[in-house]
Amino acid sequence: MGQSYKQAIWVPSVTFNGCLQRELSWSCGVSKFLQIRLRYALEVAKHGSVAIITKAEPHESNTNYAQGGVSAVLCPSDSVESHMQDTIVAGAYLCDEESVKVVCTEGPDRIRELIAMGASFDHGDDGNLHLAREGGHSHHRIVHAADMTGREIERALLEAVVNDPNISVFKHHFAIDLLTSQDGSDTVCHGIDALNTETQEVVRFISKVTLLASGGAGHIYPSTTNPLVATGDGMAMAHRAQAVISNMEFVQFHPTALADEGLPIKPKKTRENSFLITEAVRGDGGILYNLSMERFMPLYDGRAELAPRDVVARSIDDQLKKRNEKYVLLDISHKPREKILSHFPNIANECLQHGLDITQQPIPVVPAAHYMCGGVRAGLQGETNVHGLYVAGEVACTGLHGANRLASNSLLEALVFARRAVQPSINYMKSSSLDLSASSLWTRPLVPKSLGSDVMHKILRITKEVRKELQSIMWKYVGIVRSTSRLQEAEQKIGKLEAKWETYLFEHGWQQTMVALEACEMRNLFCCAKLVVSSALARHESRGLHYMTDFPHLEESKRLPTVIFPSSHTTGTWSSRQLHQQPIVKSMV
Amino acid sequence: MAKTSLSRLFASLSEHSITKPSFTGSRSDSVTRPAYNSVTRFVCSSAQETQLIREERSNEGDREAAKENLESVNKEEDEGEDGDHVNKETGEVGGPKGPEPTRYGDWERNGRCSDF
Repeated sequence: MGQSYKQAIWVPSVTFNGCLQRELSWSCGVSKFLQIRLRYALEVAKHGSVAIITKAEPHESNTNYAQGGVSAVLCPSDSVESHMQDTIVAGAYLCDEESVKVVCTEGPDRIRELIAMGASFDHGDDGNLHLAREGGHSHHRIVHAADMTGREIERALLEAVVNDPNISVFKHHFAIDLLTSQDGSDTVCHGIDALNTETQEVVRFISKVTLLASGGAGHIYPSTTNPLVATGDGMAMAHRAQAVISNMEFVQFHPTALADEGLPIKPKKTRENSFLITEAVRGDGGILYNLSMERFMPLYDGRAELAPRDVVARSIDDQLKKRNEKYVLLDISHKPREKILSHFPNIANECLQHGLDITQQPIPVVPAAHYMCGGVRAGLQGETNVHGLYVAGEVACTGLHGANRLASNSLLEALVFARRAVQPSINYMKSSSLDLSASSLWTRPLVPKSLGSDVMHKILRITKEVRKELQSIMWKYVGIVRSTSRLQEAEQKIGKLEAKWETYLFEHGWQQTMVALEACEMRNLFCCAKLVVSSALARHESRGLHYMTDFPHLEESKRLPTVIFPSSHTTGTWSSRQLHQQPIVKSMV
Repeated sequence: MAKTSLSRLFASLSEHSITKPSFTGSRSDSVTRPAYNSVTRFVCSSAQETQLIREERSNEGDREAAKENLESVNKEEDEGEDGDHVNKETGEVGGPKGPEPTRYGDWERNGRCSDF
């Protein structure tokens, strides 16, 4: 699972001869897997022009701790059926079996292609792939790559992308909304509006095919492993563009992220994304305590700290909510000092820098949001219900993960679906045509220069506070242990907060079509938060990552995906409407 | 705000457990122990049990000394990733030094989890 990535959308740019070409999806994952996306960009660019739109920088920046691997059946004693079974069990039987079959079947070939391309995965002394075994997998099937090789491949590919005349990289371009039209009952995507956050210019991309690979929405929660760019932009844009959203209630949390509030010396600036403390600390004998130094895990499970991760996450969440506290304590100090320092030097070092010696004191920990199993509903080719709109990666809901993601499957999903989306999108592109003058059909977004810097300063300040408030509501009412009454309370509070924020904006002169990075992120966060709450309210059972105290059991009759259809455009808040007017066009194609 | 009965939560959580609670004794499904399969060794290598391939000696109680130790451990770890390191137990070439990253189910390096 990628630790750091940037939002990216690939859109075909219009060439001067008026011939529109294909596009491809690209999302940044773990650096050594960014190469996959870049490789496909290069492939596609042989046939036409491609625009890669990325919110920040296109290169991966956090490679120092991004490890992990990708799962695939690469051993004779393993089988596709076994990988499928592990995936389906982990997904609490909510997976789409066709998606699971496709991913598990095609995964090995995707890995072999990477190897043929020069990717160097760790191997045994006999020259064969070294396969690790992560939790939930019944066979060894995790391939992992040495850092150096991955970085080198990425660097080479990035260079090739930059040098390819058919590929244009638009970094620091924030995607605002998809450009869509209605063709009868069908919604068609024609491109995207973006804001160049460096020059404050709006850029309109007209394209036949658009692929979203914009990642997750971890920042709807206060504590998340996701980098700052993960504000659910793609999910929100797709929802506003009438795409169907699915399974948003299944948010994966990690139980023990380092809680900065509990450190003696607080970090100078807020940590961008959470530092996860490995299960190995509990495995090696670490004990969990609440702030009254009561060991609470035995109350929840006979296995205490050795209970499955989901149980531990729920238990910690329950303790924090009951006691209204911000973190719990994970204590390994009773173990030999040498063992602690040799097994966990990263944690020891990080804590020491903030005044905490883990060989003497307990570690403050809090659950962190990590991965969204749900997203924009995608078919087996990465297609959505919006014509010309494809999705890949965490932004998509392909049905692979079901109610809970199996370790190392997300990279595999991205590998397989990114490839599968290429030919269908080429075919779609070839069968459609778009007049460049269509560009004028949608109102252009507006940069709020007219408001003046004082007003903008106020708006930014309020927006920052509102973001924190939203995150606080989500953690308090839409966390790991849920209930109907808490979710309803969340719905109300979020509704009020959104209304308050929008009123403030519009009272200060903000207009419907105005755009600024922070405001647009905020509207996307509101959109995604509401999707999570609605989805959670709709599932009257507990399954996988979704746990409800008033529906604590699995219900066979409820073993169905949660689907959110787009709502009417005539009602709704600023966050739920596209900025521009939707044109009613008889023939756009 | 719904009050959750502790006993109901406990019972509900237990139902979600994969195996029956085992308070003391051997580990259950929450821990993944990699298995060594002699049949597959020919084609692929498997990870082994937890191992410590180096012992760290630190000076007593001195924060600066602890820091030095941490720096040297991290340096050793980095050097190991240059690709020459061969894990004696598993035969893995170029892999991480120290305990098997997946020994407790998640992907761990030096205490930090990057995948689970």
